[in-house]
Amino acid sequence: MTSKPPPPGWALRFLRSICPDHLAEEIEGDLIQKFESDIRRLGLSRARRRFEWNAMRYLRPGIVLRNKLTYSLINTIMLRNYLIIAFRNVTKNKVFSLINIFGLGTGLAVCLLIFQFVSHELSFDTFFDNADRIYRVTNDRFQNGKLIQHGTITYPTIGPTMAKDYPEIEMYTRLMPGGDMNVKIDDKIFRGENCHFVDEHFLSVFSFPLLAGDRTSALKEPYALVLTESVAKKYYGVTNGDYTSILGKTLYWGLDKQPYKISGVCADNPDNSHITFDVLVSYATLIRPEEHGADDSWTWSDFRHYVVLKPGIDYKAFESKFPAFSDRYFKGDKVSGSVEKFYLQPLKKAHLYSDYEYDIARTASGKAVWAMLIVAIFILVIAWINYINLTTSRALDRAKEVGLRKVMGALKTQLVRQFIFESVLISLIAFVLALVITWVSQSSFNEIIGSPLSLLKVLGEMQAPSIIIAALVLVSGVLLAGFYPAFVLSSYQPATVLKGKFQHSSGGKFMRKALVVFQFTASATLITGTLIVSKQLKFMNEADLGIAIRNIMLVDPPELTAWDSTFMTRVENYKDELTKINGVVSAATSSRIPGNRLGRTFGLRLAEQPSDTHYTMSFFGADHNFMDTYDVPLVAGRKFLPTDHKFNFGDINSVIINQNAVELLGIANAQEAIGKEILDGDLKVHIVGVVGNFHQESLKKPMEPIVFVPTYSTYAETSIKIKTSDPKPVIAQVEAVFKKFFPNNAFQYSFLEDRYNRQYNDEDRFAKVVTIFTMLGIIISCLGLIGLSSYTAVQRTKEIGIRKALGASRLGIISLLSADFIKLVAVAIVLSFPLAYMAMEQWLSNYPYKIALQWTLFLLPAVTILVIAFATISFQIFKTAKTNPADTLKYE
Amino acid sequence: MGKEYLGEFEELILTMVGVLQEEAYGAAIAEEIEKRLKRDVNLSAVHVTLYRLEDKGLIKSKVGGATSERGGRRKRIYTITSAGLALLRTMKETRMDLWKLIPQLKMSV
Repeated sequence: MTSKPPPPGWALRFLRSICPDHLAEEIEGDLIQKFESDIRRLGLSRARRRFEWNAMRYLRPGIVLRNKLTYSLINTIMLRNYLIIAFRNVTKNKVFSLINIFGLGTGLAVCLLIFQFVSHELSFDTFFDNADRIYRVTNDRFQNGKLIQHGTITYPTIGPTMAKDYPEIEMYTRLMPGGDMNVKIDDKIFRGENCHFVDEHFLSVFSFPLLAGDRTSALKEPYALVLTESVAKKYYGVTNGDYTSILGKTLYWGLDKQPYKISGVCADNPDNSHITFDVLVSYATLIRPEEHGADDSWTWSDFRHYVVLKPGIDYKAFESKFPAFSDRYFKGDKVSGSVEKFYLQPLKKAHLYSDYEYDIARTASGKAVWAMLIVAIFILVIAWINYINLTTSRALDRAKEVGLRKVMGALKTQLVRQFIFESVLISLIAFVLALVITWVSQSSFNEIIGSPLSLLKVLGEMQAPSIIIAALVLVSGVLLAGFYPAFVLSSYQPATVLKGKFQHSSGGKFMRKALVVFQFTASATLITGTLIVSKQLKFMNEADLGIAIRNIMLVDPPELTAWDSTFMTRVENYKDELTKINGVVSAATSSRIPGNRLGRTFGLRLAEQPSDTHYTMSFFGADHNFMDTYDVPLVAGRKFLPTDHKFNFGDINSVIINQNAVELLGIANAQEAIGKEILDGDLKVHIVGVVGNFHQESLKKPMEPIVFVPTYSTYAETSIKIKTSDPKPVIAQVEAVFKKFFPNNAFQYSFLEDRYNRQYNDEDRFAKVVTIFTMLGIIISCLGLIGLSSYTAVQRTKEIGIRKALGASRLGIISLLSADFIKLVAVAIVLSFPLAYMAMEQWLSNYPYKIALQWTLFLLPAVTILVIAFATISFQIFKTAKTNPADTLKYE
Repeated sequence: MGKEYLGEFEELILTMVGVLQEEAYGAAIAEEIEKRLKRDVNLSAVHVTLYRLEDKGLIKSKVGGATSERGGRRKRIYTITSAGLALLRTMKETRMDLWKLIPQLKMSV
């Protein structure tokens, strides 16, 4: 009898894998019977196809679900055994297991922490009801073909006009920051609350939860205020949560005689809101309906706009209508002195993807967030590789067990299952450890990050897709890390293993080496990155700013003192008295301080230039002591004199400009600029001096052309240069002087350097996090190296014994053993060069002032990694090299 | 009765198990249905239905002896239980009762 053609093998295997064991035989039999009759009726190839198709159709709940009961019944018996064996293995080699679990646990903990951070950053502004339909209107301005401003601010007329012209807009709102509030209730003074002027639609566009008051009408009336919960508590001591009781109460703001009325209370801003405020003031307070002039302005550009588009509107398509809008209302640069371009930015990008000037949003670098995520993934992969390496390298210990199990009839699949089970178990323990580490280190991590994060909160806020992705990453990681060792271990031939002549395959060795190289490439890249980030930070912190910001104490402005004819003399006397204090070098008042964003004027020109010329410059109000206090070098002409100050702003006749301004105005050199007349609107002034450029803002921003105007103001902070080892008595004396000249004002001080350096918060945070995680990454890599080196040392004990017996020197042995590892690390370092170079060049491209990527920056991490790697393995290697050959060879 | 309900395909398979007696196994049932009813049935559907009927206690099964046919796989032979037979009978009777209620002389329509 000729043998019948067999049915397709894969289909049979597939059937067996999905069918319950007790039914598989019958089902296969029936299918084969059909197959055989099909061959007779339809021919072999069609029969095979039918067989495959029919087999596939067994993938249905009626069959697959039947597996459950028996499957787990059989396995519970083996599971117990696996559990016992796993436990024995963990305890048998405690150091090894500890390295394994600790490495994996730390890696997972790092991931959990960064994951929290990233999901917090990505959750910004998603809590608003209309989050998908809210857009910021942004405005770029061009003069003489050059971009002069890239901002979120624009004219108050834009919102209403766009809403009128375009039916796509469902709603708009306007906001103008009001700065710090200075509030008086009865005779108590409160200050420091950050307020915004917002129009009546604000609470309809942004669904901040309202605790009292009406969403649509709360901000309609002039002098209406909406407080946040904590401000309401602070001002009125509300403790029972009944905020409606304070509606209608009044308070006074600054010098304003008009009482302001509380018309609403909203919940405190969530941590993930890009807009932050303590108090909202109705827009009508700022521009009353009867004063039309200001609200119709096409030149006053202090307003942030948000629009809500109707559902289903494509914002990009809508945006393309804006050039026509700009032509219609701005007629080139005829109206505002610059060519206006408008864009829409989706609200969800406001936090991470904003590089706008005059931005009030809480922003962070999206790149840094993604970079941290990459670091986290690196570390997790390093940890998993450790697991794979350590587990496979220990294969010899397990080989006999595998051999015996096979002899006793274990199937390969059972062994795979056993080892995956073990890796799942180890991962679970590591996961628990990771949760503990996360829990313990949460508060210090939050301090660095500067946001109150918690795992529970993040998990609570997470949406289904990110949960699925996170779970998928974890599960697939555990399985991948488990699969490779499982297959290596289960594939041993029992005969070879039990004979005792077992050696590793070269394939496995190669795999392990590749993994070590990968680990150290990642570590070296991280180290180089950390080093360059910290160098750049140091460079920015220590750079010559062109202005001396050290040892400067700042005193908040005397806002509650009225501006009258005595004010200027009062400030002069106040400064005189300040400089008499022992330890004070000089004092100056200015409208802005270094680190502040300056206001701009857009229509400036030289009197000798044609009237349609427009230049844009930053505007700086400073008194005659400013340049000396801040050591700004004079290039030409003179500094301000007390006589340059005028009581009426219109009488001012002298200004100082910086070198960039000289260049912008097209004047050949600083000397020539002296005496030239400048026109800006109604202002007619002469240039009396030219000063050097300095970094008004951080080194992340370019230096701008600036025009300095001699002014005094009740809104000017005092900068006091001090020279003392103990600032405490100086501060007390300054307070006394301040109180003497400006009674009723609250005295508040700060130090300029701290405030200036706050501009680098984002970088600082990034550097700290990356440094910590780099260190962890290296530690985890080294843990792996310890495990691996001790393993090879054990493996080669006999070889070394023989070498020593034949006269090899201790040094020779050491170099023999370390060469293997050092080679791998060296390869990793070489691989890390281009990676680190590309990544860091990309990062540095964000900064106009930056360090050069010299080769020394790459050499130091390379040496560090080599030294660390060598130190890690040296202990084991020295031990091995020292062993007496007689001890190792006597057993043969 | 009343509570027990059988789908059309379930009833068909149950009947076939009763018909085929000692030869009632998956492939034979499918073949028989194809032969007698000219209806193409899929084996997986037959198997799933058989298992369901067995769960309901309407049929029981035992593994038959080994043969050289079918790649050496043994058959699982199904037999109808008395509960199954009783259910079939009730179903048939209720159907006949209903059938009798249809006016038989519809020639004029």
